[in-house]
Amino acid sequence: MPSWQDFEPFIVSGLALGGVYALSGVGMVVLYQATGVVYLAFGAVGAMGALIAWSLINAHAPGWVGWLVCVAFAALVTLAYGMVFGPALAKRDPLVKAVATLGLTLVLFGLMDLLWTTSGGQSRAITLPTDNGGFMIGQIQVTWTQVISLALGIVITVVTVVFLRLTKLGTAMRAMANDREITATLGVPVRRVEAAAWLGCGILAGLAGVLLADLVALDATTLTFLVISSLAAALIARLRSITITFAAAIVIGLVHDLLTPIQSLSNYRDATPFVLAAIALLALSSGGGQVLTRSREEA
Amino acid sequence: MIEVSDLTVRFGGVTSLDGMSVTFEAGTCGLIGPNGAGKTTFFNVLSGFVRPTAGKVRAFGEDLLSLVHYRRARWGVRRTFQTEQAIEDLSVFDNVAMIHEHARLGGARRQDVLEAISFVGLDADPSARVATLAAGQRRLVEVARAVVGRPKLVLLDEPAAGLPDQETEHLSEVIRRIPEQAGALTILVDHDMSLVSACCQTTAVLDFGKLVASGPTAEVLRDERVIRAYLGTADVQ
Amino acid sequence: MAASGGSAAADTEVPATRARQRPTLPRPGTGTLVRAAVIAALLLFVLFALPQLMSLYYVDAMTQVAVWSMAALGLGVLVGRVGLVSLGQVAVLAIGAWVAARLLFATAQPYPLVLLEAGLITMLLGTLIGLPALRLRGLYLALITLMLAGALTVVLATTNFPNGGPGFLGYNGSQVHIPPIRRPSIAASDPAYFRYAVVVAVLMFLLVFAHIRTRPGRAWAAVRQSEPAALAAGINTWFYKLWAFALASFITGVAGGVLAGANHYLYSLNFPTYYSITLLAVVLMGGAYSLWGAVIAGLLWALLPSLLQNWGVSADWLTILFGVGVLQVLTTAPRGLADQVPKDLARLGRAARGLARKRAPSESSAG
Repeated sequence: MPSWQDFEPFIVSGLALGGVYALSGVGMVVLYQATGVVYLAFGAVGAMGALIAWSLINAHAPGWVGWLVCVAFAALVTLAYGMVFGPALAKRDPLVKAVATLGLTLVLFGLMDLLWTTSGGQSRAITLPTDNGGFMIGQIQVTWTQVISLALGIVITVVTVVFLRLTKLGTAMRAMANDREITATLGVPVRRVEAAAWLGCGILAGLAGVLLADLVALDATTLTFLVISSLAAALIARLRSITITFAAAIVIGLVHDLLTPIQSLSNYRDATPFVLAAIALLALSSGGGQVLTRSREEA
Repeated sequence: MIEVSDLTVRFGGVTSLDGMSVTFEAGTCGLIGPNGAGKTTFFNVLSGFVRPTAGKVRAFGEDLLSLVHYRRARWGVRRTFQTEQAIEDLSVFDNVAMIHEHARLGGARRQDVLEAISFVGLDADPSARVATLAAGQRRLVEVARAVVGRPKLVLLDEPAAGLPDQETEHLSEVIRRIPEQAGALTILVDHDMSLVSACCQTTAVLDFGKLVASGPTAEVLRDERVIRAYLGTADVQ
Repeated sequence: MAASGGSAAADTEVPATRARQRPTLPRPGTGTLVRAAVIAALLLFVLFALPQLMSLYYVDAMTQVAVWSMAALGLGVLVGRVGLVSLGQVAVLAIGAWVAARLLFATAQPYPLVLLEAGLITMLLGTLIGLPALRLRGLYLALITLMLAGALTVVLATTNFPNGGPGFLGYNGSQVHIPPIRRPSIAASDPAYFRYAVVVAVLMFLLVFAHIRTRPGRAWAAVRQSEPAALAAGINTWFYKLWAFALASFITGVAGGVLAGANHYLYSLNFPTYYSITLLAVVLMGGAYSLWGAVIAGLLWALLPSLLQNWGVSADWLTILFGVGVLQVLTTAPRGLADQVPKDLARLGRAARGLARKRAPSESSAG
C-alpha cells in the first residue's frame, strides 16, 4: 500500500480533473433540464475543438486564438445541432434524443480520425501557458492550470445555481424541465431558451476540451469518452441537482487519480467513471417500480 | 363487488386521488368527472401501474393491491386504454389469444378467442395484422381482449373517444352485453354522457380525486354538484 | 357479415356458427413458400458459388459479414423486437470471443461444442447483468449497458485475450511465438471457414425466427408497443425482457466464437467501446426490426470498409456516414427506435443528399 506522500500529487491532479468534470457535468445537466437531451457528443465537440486549436497553434497562431477557436467551434456545432435536431426530435423519448447525439458523436469521431490521423508514434500535445507557473503546497507541485480547472468548476457551479434560481432565463429553463408545452403556453420563448441552453453547454464543452487536452491527453478517443466521467457525475445527481453534480464530479476525479499509485488497481482506474455511473444508475432505479413515465423533474 | 376505501395517490406534490371511497356493486358502473379528476389514475391503481400512497381496494373479497401488476390479468382484471393499445404488429387473433395465453386461462383457447371476436362484432379477418385495421376496429380488438374468457373486472377507459357516432352506437351495444355474456363487473370511464346513460346502471363521479356523487346514473347526471364539477360544460346529449 | 347495429337477438346463435366457419391460423400460402425457396436458393449460392467467385480478401470480408450479422441480429432482437437499446453488444462479442479462445486453447473440444459453450456462458453473463439492469428503462438502460461495456473494455485491456498461456486468463505476455486460435478441422481454409460461419449464422437466424413466431415473439411485440398494455395482458414484461437479453447474449457469444476462429489472433483494441455505438448505427440503418436488416447491417459493417479500402478510400468516411445514418433514421422513423421499414442504401443516398440540402425539420414526420 503506497504511502500518503505517494498519494499527495494525485490529490491535486484529481481535484483539477474533477473541476473539469464538474463544469462538463453541470453543462449536461442544464441542457437536459431545458431540452431533455443527454448530450453524449459533449466530449467529441470538445475534442475536435482542441484538435483544431492544436492545428492552429502548430501553424504558429497565438495560443489564445487557438483556445478561442476551440470554444467557438464547440459552441457553434452544439448550437447548430440543437437548432436543427432539437425541434425534429422534441417530442421523442429521451432515449431517442440521446442516441441521436451518438450520431453526431460518430460524425465528429470520423472527421477527427480523417483529418488528424493517429499515425504511428506521433502523439500530439497541448500545453497552456499556465502549465509552467505554479506554487508548492508542502511537497506537492501545483500548476496554475490545475488551479484554474478546479476554480472554473467551482465558479461554473455557483454561477449556474444562481443563474437558474435568480434570472428569468434560468427560471424559464427550470420551468421547461417540468413541462415544455405548458411553459410555451405561458409565453416563454421556448426556442430561445433552448438555444441559450445549447449555446451554454457548447461553450462549456469547448472549455472542457481545452483543459482536458492539457490535463489528460490530446487524443480523439480519450477526449470523446471522457464525457462518461461527466455523465457519471450527472447521473449521480439524477440529472437534476447542480451541486450534487459538482460533488460527484470531484469525487470521480479524485478516485480515478488516487488509484494511480495503487499497483494492483492502477490498470483498472479508467473503469472508475463507468463503475461509478453504473452504481449511480442502479441506485436511481431503486425508486422505480412505477410503470408509467414521468416528467424530467422526477427523473 | 369492488370496495374502494380511502384511496390516496400522491406523487411529486400532486394529489391525483384524495381519499376516494366508493363501492361498485355489480353490472356496468360509470365513472365520470372532469379532466384531471383522477379517473385514469384510479384505473392505473387497479391495473397495478401506480402504487397508492394510502387506501385499500377489495375486489370480490380479495385484496387486489397485493397482486403484482402482471398477475392481475390472471386474477381477472382486464383493461382498455385511453389511447387504444391493440398490438399493431400482431394479428387480431394473436392480440386476443395473447391475453388468453398469459393470463393462463385454461380451456379451448381458439374457441374462446373466436367467441370474443364475434362477441364484439368485429368484422375483420382474424389473421389480419391490427396495423391494417381502422381505428374503430382496433378499439373492438381491445374490447375483445377485455372480455375473452370470464374476466372478473373489466375497465374501459374512454373506449368511444374519437369514434364516429355509428361506431359509438355499436360499442354501446357491445358494452351493454358484457355483464350477461362475460359475467364481469364493468367500470366505464367516458365523457360521452349518452354512452354512460345507455350502458351504466350506476355511476360514480370524481372531482379532484374525491368522490362527489354516486348512485343510479339518471339521478347522478341530474345532480347539481356533478354539473357544477363539469363547470356547466357537461354535454348531456 | 353484418357486424354493427343489429338487434339483441342476433347475438346468441349466429356467433357460434360464424366461429366454426371462420379460418383460424393462416396456413402457409404460396407467398411464404416462394419466399422460402428464394432464400434457400440464395443460401446455396452464397455457400457454394460465392467463395469461388471472390478473392481471398473478400472471402475474409464476407466471413466478417457473417460474424457481424449475428452481432447485429442480437442487437436487432433487443432494439427492433423489444425496444431495448444496448450500447454494449461489442463487449458481449468480446466475451464470447474470449471464452471461445480460452476453450480452444485449453481443450481439444470439437468446434461446435466450443461455440455452444461460448454462447451459453455469454448468455449466463448477459442474464446476470440483465437481472439488475432491467430494473431500468429506456435511456438509463442504454446508459448502463454503455457503462458496463466500458468497464469491461478497460478490464480486457489489462487481462488481454487468451493466447495459449497458462492460468485462468490463459495469457502469457512474454510469449514470443503466439499460437493462432485453431479452426475446425473440416473448415481450416478461409473459404471453408466462410461456409462454416455462414452455416452458424443461418442457425442463429433460424433460432431468432423460431422465437419471433412463438410466444416470446408475441410477448415482445406487446412489450415494445406498450409496456402497460403488455402488463395488463398478464405478460411478465421483466421476464420477457430478460429472455431477449439472454437470447441476444447467446447469439452474440456464438458470433464471438466464430470471430475467434476467423481472426486467429484477438486483441483488446479490436473491441473498442465506440464499436458498440457504430454497431447500433448500422443496425438502425439496416432496419432493426426485420431479419434482413441484420444482414444489411453486417454488410455495412464488414463489406463496405473492405470495398473502400480496396479503392483507397478511408474507412473514416463510413463512420461519418453511419453517424449521419443514425440521425436520418431517428428523425424520419415514424415510431420509436425500431422502424419496421428496412432502410436500403438508396434511401441512404437520398438522405445524405437531403441532409446536405438542409431539409426543414418540419417536413419529417414528428415522433
